Amino acid sequence: MPVETKPAPQRRRLTVKPTLLGDRIFFGITTGTAYFSIVLVVLVLIFLMIRAWPAFQHEGIGFITGSKWDDSVQPMIMQIFPMLYGSILLAILGVILAVPMAIALAYLIEFLAPKPIARVVTLLVDLLAALPSVVIGLWGLFVFSPVAEGWAKLLNHYLGWLPLFANTSGNFSRSPFIAGWIVAVMIVPIITSVTREIFSQMDRDLINAAKALGGSMASTFTKVILPTASGGIVGGTLLGLGRALGETVAIFFVLNLSFDINWADLTEARGGSIASMILGKLGNASDYERSGLMAAGVVLFITTLLINFLAGYIVNRAQPWRK
Amino acid sequence: MAQVIAAKTRPTSAPWKRRNSRNILLVTLASVLPAAVAAAVTVLLGLDGAIGLLVLFVPLQLIASVGIGGYLFKKRGRQDAALIVFTVFFTVLVAVLLSSVLVAVFEAGLRMMRWSFISQNATYISPTTSLDYGGLGHAVLGSILVVGFTTLVTVPLGIGVAIYLTESRASGRNFIRSLIQSMSGLPSVVSGLFIYSAMIVTHWSGQSGITGSLALMPLMLPTVARVCEEALRLVPTDLRSAALGLGAPNYRMFLQVVLPAAKSGIVTAVLLGVARIIGETAPLLLTVNPSAGTNLNIFAGQIETLPTYLFGNLSLSTDYSVQRAWGAALIVLFLVLIIFTLTRAIGGNKQLKTPKKRK
Repeated sequence: MPVETKPAPQRRRLTVKPTLLGDRIFFGITTGTAYFSIVLVVLVLIFLMIRAWPAFQHEGIGFITGSKWDDSVQPMIMQIFPMLYGSILLAILGVILAVPMAIALAYLIEFLAPKPIARVVTLLVDLLAALPSVVIGLWGLFVFSPVAEGWAKLLNHYLGWLPLFANTSGNFSRSPFIAGWIVAVMIVPIITSVTREIFSQMDRDLINAAKALGGSMASTFTKVILPTASGGIVGGTLLGLGRALGETVAIFFVLNLSFDINWADLTEARGGSIASMILGKLGNASDYERSGLMAAGVVLFITTLLINFLAGYIVNRAQPWRK
Repeated sequence: MAQVIAAKTRPTSAPWKRRNSRNILLVTLASVLPAAVAAAVTVLLGLDGAIGLLVLFVPLQLIASVGIGGYLFKKRGRQDAALIVFTVFFTVLVAVLLSSVLVAVFEAGLRMMRWSFISQNATYISPTTSLDYGGLGHAVLGSILVVGFTTLVTVPLGIGVAIYLTESRASGRNFIRSLIQSMSGLPSVVSGLFIYSAMIVTHWSGQSGITGSLALMPLMLPTVARVCEEALRLVPTDLRSAALGLGAPNYRMFLQVVLPAAKSGIVTAVLLGVARIIGETAPLLLTVNPSAGTNLNIFAGQIETLPTYLFGNLSLSTDYSVQRAWGAALIVLFLVLIIFTLTRAIGGNKQLKTPKKRK
């Protein structure tokens, strides 16, 4: 009896690419939106660069390293070093004030407080994150500034021999000291949330082991929790630093911008911030000055983008369990 | 011959024996007494409250806690006490700062609240006009329109990016993820400068609501994409596999299985995105031309929004206009609080959001 042999079914081609038309459209659209985000960042850079080119071309490297902004000469001189330095000073000041607060909050939420209190504190931090910067600016101008001025005067009175708190002008308002506090208030939530995330995903066995070996709360904190979470904390701090550099409106109200460079006299009413300078000057700028402000925007954009990329990389490295 | 050596009891051994009533009383005293002493001295000497708190109370509390901790538990007691005091101090500091903001806004803002303030616009209102006339109705409408348009544009984009990150197997996912992550730190003023240089300087469009909307988009996109991604990631893989195993194509699997499962997460993403941009001021200052009258056309003409109204009145810095600024701050805060409560109500099961390590 002849056996009817069916030809073996053709081996299906294994593929990870979508084959159906519907799937192709679906993934096509989503890929398109994802690439759009790349296009967006590139577009930001291109448009700012086109407008900023005249200023870059004319000022050269002096745009970043010089410290003179003079519109009485033709063509005007635009150099932003005091603003750049001021931004960085404020960001560092904010980070120094915010990191202890953030670590304390994260530790309290994850390890110290009973659940109901931890939930309330979490709510507080989330609420602080949701406050718009213009509201913080309003509060900073009318409520916080007078208080912080008092603090600055005290610091100057008792620690005035330190160059950090020296004040020759006798004017304590609108100083980097006050603006640094405002920046700290703005960046505490982001650092806290990153630190908390790392704390909550930490291996509990590690902590229990430390306790079983006789570690106290303090030694567990300094010898186990902090070293294990250090990557995440550094990443969160960098994210905070990026936010601090870009803070605009809140600083605009509480800081006196000055091109007379202020190295570290925290309580003097002279400071700098690129973002606030752009906001303050763009309204009545000439064409050429506008290009200088765009150039300042480019510097700000590239700085924050790099810091954020680095921060994201460090945070991801600190959570190897996340793909 | 075995010699028995009596082991000396260490002072820190058997810590549970130290939880007796005398010690609990001591610990309670250590946490109550410094506050009482500091308060008494502050009141008696008439010191400034904040200074008294910082210079008097914190060191006193530290000394008392560390002292009692050291007396009861030796070195570890001292260290633990210091850790707790510092942790609680910083937490209370943040709480005080936050409540100071809230109290200030509510106190000054409520004084401003009246029906005319919410319903009227600012036509014919000068910085010295009585507070009973004029309001921010036009700004509320403008904000709703501008933010609404941004939401319309951004939410599909954000969801698309989130789908790309979770559903597809494309190789560029890691790069896109870190790009979105770093976009979330984009300075708001740069976003405003971008639209200013791309549309307004080039005369494609005058300053109008639409330019403001577009300037807010890069700020909203990362928030929506990231929260959405988290929501989609929470949908179990088994559900997806089951749908695919039954023969569903990918897009139907997504639309009919994953999307309904992640619905509340996506709504949360939209709300958080709106909360992110509703008080955003710097981009709007660069791209929107504020007006005193009501304008419902976001494609042309001047339009007022809440943040620019606040900023404008604050810049005028007369008594009345500052009052109006506080009123506007209260309205903004109120909107933020509403969104905040909504997100809590929707995404109530927080346990889902932070997957604990499984044993």
